[in-house]
Order: sequence, then C-alpha cells, then structure tokens
Amino acid sequence: MRTHGLVEDVPGAGPADHLCWVYADDAALDRAAREFLAGGLARGERLLCVGERVIESLLTSPDHDLAALIERGAVETLTLAEAYAASGPFLAEQQLAYYDAATRRATGEGYRGLRVLAEVSDLAADPGQRAELIRWEHMADDYAVHGAGFSAMCAYRADLGPDALADVASVHPVVRAPGEVSSFRMFVDGDRIVLCGSVDAFCSDRLARVLSAAQADDDGVVLHVADLAFMDVAGLRVVARWAAGLWARAVSVEVTGASALLRRMWQVLDLDRVAPVTFSAALA
Amino acid sequence: MTATATVDADRFEHEALFYRGDADYLAGLLPFVRDGLDSGEAVVVAEPRARLDMLRDELADDAPAVEFLDMAEIGANPGRIIGVWAAALARHTRAGRRLRGVGEPAFPGRRTAELVECRLHEMLLNHAFDDGSGWRLLCPYDQEHLPRAVLQAALHTHPVRSTSATRLPSDAYAHGGHVAAFAEGLPAPGDAVLRGVYGPGDVPATRRTVAQWARSCGLPEKHVEALELAASELATNTIRHAGGTGTVAMWLDNGAAVVQFSDAGTVTDPLIGRLIPPLEQEGGRGLYLVNQLCDLVQVRSSGQGTTVRVSTWF
Repeated sequence: MRTHGLVEDVPGAGPADHLCWVYADDAALDRAAREFLAGGLARGERLLCVGERVIESLLTSPDHDLAALIERGAVETLTLAEAYAASGPFLAEQQLAYYDAATRRATGEGYRGLRVLAEVSDLAADPGQRAELIRWEHMADDYAVHGAGFSAMCAYRADLGPDALADVASVHPVVRAPGEVSSFRMFVDGDRIVLCGSVDAFCSDRLARVLSAAQADDDGVVLHVADLAFMDVAGLRVVARWAAGLWARAVSVEVTGASALLRRMWQVLDLDRVAPVTFSAALA
Repeated sequence: MTATATVDADRFEHEALFYRGDADYLAGLLPFVRDGLDSGEAVVVAEPRARLDMLRDELADDAPAVEFLDMAEIGANPGRIIGVWAAALARHTRAGRRLRGVGEPAFPGRRTAELVECRLHEMLLNHAFDDGSGWRLLCPYDQEHLPRAVLQAALHTHPVRSTSATRLPSDAYAHGGHVAAFAEGLPAPGDAVLRGVYGPGDVPATRRTVAQWARSCGLPEKHVEALELAASELATNTIRHAGGTGTVAMWLDNGAAVVQFSDAGTVTDPLIGRLIPPLEQEGGRGLYLVNQLCDLVQVRSSGQGTTVRVSTWF
C-alpha cells in the first residue's frame, strides 16, 4: 500500500507524494519546503511553487542557486493571483486540467515529473471555497496516483482553526500537524479508496463530506478499510448512505479488509437495506 | 385440563407454564404447540438446545412445521429477545398468520444478573405487545431448578399462570410493573472500582480507556472490541442526550468484567435498545447494537439519572 500516516519530518521523496503540512511558524515551513523541494530536484522533477508564502520561502533558501534553477526551467513559481488567472475560478476540474498540462509539459521537457508546493490556507479559510478545495484535494490525490508524475505538498497555517484543518488533513495520505487534527484520513491507493484511522459520531459529518468528494468510477468503487482502527454506528451509517447514493447511480460499492466487528455491525443494523454493499477480503 | 382463564384471540396472551421434570414439561407444552399447528398458526419455539432436541423428538412428524430458536443464543442477553419476537410477529402477521410462541428466557443455569434481567424482560413483553396484534406466548418455568424468587416473579410478570393441568389468571400479576422495575437501581459494585468522568471531547479517550482495561483483564480481542464500541456509543449518548457529562465505572464481579455508564439523563422509553429503529430514523441504534454485541446489558433510568451496565463473561 501507498505510504500513509502521521509524520514529524518530510519523508524521503517518492512518486505520488501527497503531503498535508500544517505549520505554526514560518521557519518550520521553510525547512519543510526546502527539504520537500530538494527531494524533487534529486529525483529530476520540475518544481512548481504556488502561493506567495512558499515563493518567499524558496527565494530565501540558501541551499540552491535559485536564479540558475529558474533560468533552466527546473523551478517555476505561481502567485495565487497568477494561479487564478491561469486556471480561472477555483474549480477542481480546472485545477486538474492546469496541473495535468503542467505535468505533461514537465515530462515532455525531460523532467521526471512535477513536484508542487502550494500554500493554499486562504482557500481553506474561506468556508465558501472549502468544499471545492476538499474535492480538489481528493482529485489531486487520485491524479498523483494515476497521473503522469505529479507530487504535492499542501501547506496550511495552523491557525486556520480545527474544522478547516480537520477537513484538509482528512484528504491526504501523509499528514504533519501539531496534534491529531483529524482522526481519520482518506486517500487513493491504486484503484481503491483507503479509509484509515478512527471515525465516530463527532466526525461522521466530515466523513460524509469527504466521501462525497471522492471520485467514483462507473465500474464501481472499492473502499479499503483494513487500517480503520475504529468506526461507530454513525460512521458506518455514513458509509451506507454514501453507498446508497452511488447505487442510485448504478455504481456498486465493495468494502475490502473490514474487521469481523464491522461486518457484524453492518448485518445487525440491517444496512444492506440501505445499500447492497459487497464485503470481501483485501487482495493486498 | 381445567381451563378457567379464557383466551382472547385479539390480544397478546402472556402465560407462565410451571413444570416439574421433563414429562410434566412435555405434558404442558406439546398440547400448546399442537393446538397452534392444528389452528394453522405459525409456531415459534425458543428454548435452550437440550429442550429443543427433546421437543423435536416428541413432535416427530410435526417438528418441521415448527420454527426452533436456541434461546441460549438469541436470548443470551435477555435485552435481545423482544426484538426477536417483534420480528417474528411482523413477519407472520404480514403473511396473514397468527403467531404462537414458546419462550423460556429464565432457564436453569442462568447467572443471577441474567435472571434479574429476564424478570424485566418479561414485564417489558407486556408493555411491548399489549396494544398490538393478538398472539400467544407461553413461558416455561422450571419449578425444580429455578430459585424461588424467580418463580414468584413469574407470577407478577404473567397475566396467566398454568401447569400441565390448570390454566388460571395470575392474581399476583402487576400490570405496568415495568415502570418501577425500569427505575429501580442495580446492585452496587464491589470495592475495587475504577471510575472516571467524561465530557464533550472525551469519547475517544473513554473508549480507549475501556478497551485498555478490558484487555488488561484478559478478555479476548473480540470482546475488547465490542466493549470499545459499547463505550463509544454509550458515552456519545451521554454527550448528545444527557447533559454532556457522565461517569464510567469498571470492575470485576463474579466471573464478569463490568463496565457501567451513568449520567443525569432520563430515558422515557423502557424499550430503548430492544427494537431496531426504522431505517429512516436517525438515532437510537447505539444501544440496540450494544445489546446485540455484548453478553449482558442492563439499562435503568429514572428522574435521578440513567445507568447502563454492560457485563462480559470470562
């Protein structure tokens, strides 16, 4: 399975990295940003820094000759204003089209892929934009796994507040944050969606939002829950309602790796009457 | 047979059958079962395995027409039994058949705490079914092996008492007795009790504490996980419906690991957690699930607060 979990330091760079980096002070972000970008350079990836805050971090970096890197095209920068101008209003599909084109351009020019460092706290802080941001984060995660060589670190300020931080952290496989900002995480792994951590009544609304943001193939969705440490009735009902919504669109749901307890809960609560979900053992 | 208590086909008839030994048991039970079959009723018998085997043999060719349920399984926690009867009643009523049941929840060998719960269960049967479709339920009581107090209680909880030779109204029957029984306290725990207070934001820590304690007691992982889930659901109920703070207590008692949740809320429906809520209903499933997954669940509530005690047998 793809690397996932809570981290303290930037993990070694690899394909399909997708990190959520919650930072409390600028120095901490600067250190993480440089490490993340250095990993990309070492892998032969083009770097794209999005947002004034990370551009500033890059400009003050003592590690590289930035002018030379920009000159030869290894590093590109994009202010938020430029990003909006380039991709239009913030819509997940337009974001995907923009980054897909940028990734293809990078690989077409001989780079191994595109490594993006984006500071998008302002989007997360705007309640009107957050749902779309969550949808984009999930789409970006899927693109990291299935695209042409896309990796990203999404940096968010720690003072965004618990709800915003929990929303954004829950849609990344790897999270660095002061404390547990979200008790569960959801991400793409191959052709399945992985749900891990713990879900109870106090975060089941968030799970509903995050699941509704997940992309569903017409051939069916596989939800892998082998690393789900805990789920209560409210959480399982959210899964059932999500599955029912997909079923109404003729999309089937298969749950893999469910514990014996989770299966028993499904049966006792008669949730097959809400949605006909197939439970099966995970292949890996 | 002297039959001085009449049967009202439109009502729920709840009858205690007192027996002494296998022959007397069969003499009381077989006519009840065969009458039901002869009348075209759906007959469902919930008894411990040994009794089921005996009945199957005695019923011979009639046995396939009877639905047999293992009471030690479906009623291991007496809090589950009303849900089983409600489902059977709904199923057979939909099919246009009258239901006739045999259920021996208070069978010999039960633990004291289970027998206490069987008494409340018998009272709640009247509350659950008195105003619904008519059906008959016969509850055998073993006069030779059950404690005297249990036999006495059966007279209070059944409007009709019978033996293999008599069928009489029970003068001791206490209509509405469940109200006081649901409000009365549970026996106090022993000395070595671990206690903690929880409030909003403490549910994850509370369930982890309960799981850790259950594991340290040596309970198998399957039971630890069930208790962890129970802790989460019961603490969540406190936060959502009972003022937001509660107390969790844990202790070992006579071969059981006991976890108890108490709060200041009042439960107005004594059938809470015994019947599965309709699919469209938002809440009410937590305690139902706890009843289904745990060995013994005892709920008591009054104006003084609510207590849910969950016992897991070693």
